[in-house]
Amino acid sequence: MFKKILVPVAGTVADTETIKLACRLAKKDKGKVLAVSIVTIKRALPLDAEIDSEIKKAEDILDSVETAADEEDCEIETDVLQSREVGPAIVDEAVERSVSLILMGIAYKQRFGQFSLGEAVPYVLKNSPCPVILYQQYGSGKPVSGQSGQL
Amino acid sequence: MAVFSAGYGNVGSSIYYALGIVALVAMGATPVALGVAGILFIFTALTYAEGTAAIPEAGGSASFTRRAFGNTAGFIAGWALMLSYIVTISISAFTIPPYLSFFWEPFKSDPAIGTGASIAIVFFLMMINIIGVKETSLVNIGATIIDILTQVSLVVIGFITLFNPSVLISRIIDNWPSADNLVLGIAMATIAYTGIETMSQMAEETKKPERSVPRALVMMIIAVLVIFAGISLVSLSAMPPEELASEWARDPVAGIAYYIPVQIIRVVLEPLIAVLAGTILFIATNAGIIGISRLTFSQGTHGLVPRALSKVHNRFKTPYVAIIVFCLIAVALIVPGFFAIDMFSDMGALYAIGSLLAFMSAHAAIISLRVKEPEMPRPFKIGWNIRVKGRDIPVSALIGLLATFSIWVLLLVNQPYSRWIGLGWMFLGLVIYLILRWIRRKPKDQWVVRPGEK
Repeated sequence: MFKKILVPVAGTVADTETIKLACRLAKKDKGKVLAVSIVTIKRALPLDAEIDSEIKKAEDILDSVETAADEEDCEIETDVLQSREVGPAIVDEAVERSVSLILMGIAYKQRFGQFSLGEAVPYVLKNSPCPVILYQQYGSGKPVSGQSGQL
Repeated sequence: MAVFSAGYGNVGSSIYYALGIVALVAMGATPVALGVAGILFIFTALTYAEGTAAIPEAGGSASFTRRAFGNTAGFIAGWALMLSYIVTISISAFTIPPYLSFFWEPFKSDPAIGTGASIAIVFFLMMINIIGVKETSLVNIGATIIDILTQVSLVVIGFITLFNPSVLISRIIDNWPSADNLVLGIAMATIAYTGIETMSQMAEETKKPERSVPRALVMMIIAVLVIFAGISLVSLSAMPPEELASEWARDPVAGIAYYIPVQIIRVVLEPLIAVLAGTILFIATNAGIIGISRLTFSQGTHGLVPRALSKVHNRFKTPYVAIIVFCLIAVALIVPGFFAIDMFSDMGALYAIGSLLAFMSAHAAIISLRVKEPEMPRPFKIGWNIRVKGRDIPVSALIGLLATFSIWVLLLVNQPYSRWIGLGWMFLGLVIYLILRWIRRKPKDQWVVRPGEK
């Protein structure tokens, strides 16, 4: 059913378990897992600007999810994307790669004292060309601070 | 739509000040000057359509020029573009307070307050861009739609309530300028059409730029020519050219609304135009800052500007040095406003000096690439070509090159302020470029560096 699963990762606590879940789902259908880390580029820079520190951070995140995938004995494809906004980058990648599922790990976030999904998740839920599964790791049900993730 | 909005945001904003600048020299022939410059604008837009579709990079015309003539020419085109972006920042910020004077008169009547407010706007946007506040294209699209609707409404209402062919013709004939001033007016009118570069810069961000950019350029040509023609005719129907060039020089569109004879329409239009012009000019100021910072970074990746200029802030991830340096230069251009408001037309001429040089480079690059790289994929190819030694040369680019060059020379000859500031800027750039070459002492084709590298 899920031949190609797209997993956007952002360095949150949910990344590891999300990629493992994706691996398990993919194994059932002999599918593939594609993990992407998105570098957002500010409008004052060209979209193809190479900001070494940000690219390195994205690659480190992908390295850690690759390690998690290895634990599941699963080979995954990884990619760093550059975009102005996270949501459209995920949807565009899903369309371009013809993925059959987007699996997103989310961390507990609060905005103005209320639980919030942020901007990217609602955008993907609204515009995705395929089914979307949201995964919130058990135990992450409290405010998370100082994380680089933007999902 | 996003590309069209970005371009129209720039070109559309220029109507709010270009009309006054052109009227200062072309007087009764203002609509004629804008019309002739409009034809030139069509040729330039076609050149950009071909170049951008073939080379969709952030450098815009500097990228075509570098591809056609190498790094030195690419640097010159990019440096000239930087000048026009700096003046975009200055001139847009400088014309916001006069429009807002509807709400508080001193914004227009007191040079210290007006100029101080303009400088404050530049500093505010400088901070916003250093921090890198999110801005969605929806804001630009929304503002563009409201702007076009208001401008079209103004033209329609103006034609219904103000247009009088005999008055218009007599005002044109009675105030016909000398031949020199007419040509100078055409030269100044080119400032009305300088948003093409912004669209070209956005090419790399669009899906299928080979189709979307030419389409957006064509849409912009139609929208701009129709609206500019309408507004210039209505303005001369509303008031004599000498009034347009003095009392309303910095806020000509507000002047048209002021003369609408139906009170209920005027009551709605005057504050609407004040808010809308303020918003659009604010967006244009911001577009200038974004444009120059992107261009600087793009030039930096090819080693064409000092590396410090494309340094990215550790926390905010924005090219803060470029933003600060160029905003300060823009502020320096505004400062004379504290003492003499009539430097406004000088700013317009300076704006044209930079952008015409960039347009010239773009036309020359397109012609050169047709000769050097005839097989290069061109998703959009200009028609109406002449065949020279087996190569198709676009006539519109040839005419565009000759016309922009002539107008550029004319501006240099007739405008001492823009001549010295403009040439001084180019000289400064060449010195920096030569120093960079000397420091690196590497073959030019190896000047590819990552600006983030230390």
